[in-house]
Amino acid sequence: MLSERELERYKRQILLFGEEGQEQLKRAHIFVAGAGGLGSPVSLYLAVAGIGAITLVDNDVVELTNLNRQILHYDRDIGRKKTVSAEEKLREINPDITVKVIDTTIDETDVDRLVGRADGIVDAMDNYPTRYLLNETAVRKKIPFFHGAVQGLYGQATTIIPGVTPCLACIFPTAPPKEVFPVVGVTPGLIGMVQATEVLKYLLHDGRLLTNRLFIWDGLESHAEEIAVERNPACPVCGEISPVKPPARKKK
Amino acid sequence: MTVKIRFFARFRELLGTDILVEKKSGTMLATLVKDIALEKKEGYDAIFDANGNFREFVIVMRNGKRLEPAETATVMVADGDEIAVFPPVAGG
Repeated sequence: MLSERELERYKRQILLFGEEGQEQLKRAHIFVAGAGGLGSPVSLYLAVAGIGAITLVDNDVVELTNLNRQILHYDRDIGRKKTVSAEEKLREINPDITVKVIDTTIDETDVDRLVGRADGIVDAMDNYPTRYLLNETAVRKKIPFFHGAVQGLYGQATTIIPGVTPCLACIFPTAPPKEVFPVVGVTPGLIGMVQATEVLKYLLHDGRLLTNRLFIWDGLESHAEEIAVERNPACPVCGEISPVKPPARKKK
Repeated sequence: MTVKIRFFARFRELLGTDILVEKKSGTMLATLVKDIALEKKEGYDAIFDANGNFREFVIVMRNGKRLEPAETATVMVADGDEIAVFPPVAGG
């Protein structure tokens, strides 16, 4: 049940989703991997939308060079753990949800436990090795995985439903080279919003998800593009798993 | 025959995009892209490795359908084909 306060807080989006939809968001638990450029806007907007439980994982400390894009962290937070800074902001922006932060590195020894029984995993990482690990975990646990990545004014996003859509390893069998990437805050802002929108749609069983499609944003041209992507039957990660039922569509 | 090549992101910055190429039929896809990329060394190096193969992470699509890097050397382009060449990004 939504409290009086929640009914008021979410009034304008209850016009879109109904009280039932808002309750679905409240019951949801979303795992956000990373509190950086993508994780900042994603977690802020999921928090204000009323996602009932958000788990946010990061192992880093806030640095001055982060502040052009990582909008969860302020100048005063330099030197603090990102998890501490993020928890503070998310609790302040919406005290009606539960925020759990974990200050650790996501690796093969802890990823299972960290993700737990989340309803969705948001990829807000800055490297492919951890992305692949989260992808494998998502496939194994049959949890949707909301991929996003940015560089400069370019970004990409896709929604992975294990057993239904291609997984990250089907789409990107080989990681692009590791480099210090140039980036301006507007790009992760935009891609993060695509990911957060996908999370909401998935939880609300509404609209058409960004599945089987890779969304490509070119900020220099202000041009968005999508390319069709397919499952790889020989994919070492998801090739063997049987299809799962896609989420039922909302009855109108 | 005419084939259209579309480069994305960094590749577009280096080489341009929506390039229409006139070729005789029987041209292999990799050869076609290589010829265009050779116009700018930096562009070529971004897409191809020292052996002249597509770099492993580069995504090559023909008419919206993904091709394995190895296939591109043996797939012939046809009139009206649209070839897309895209570099995934990694940051967050």
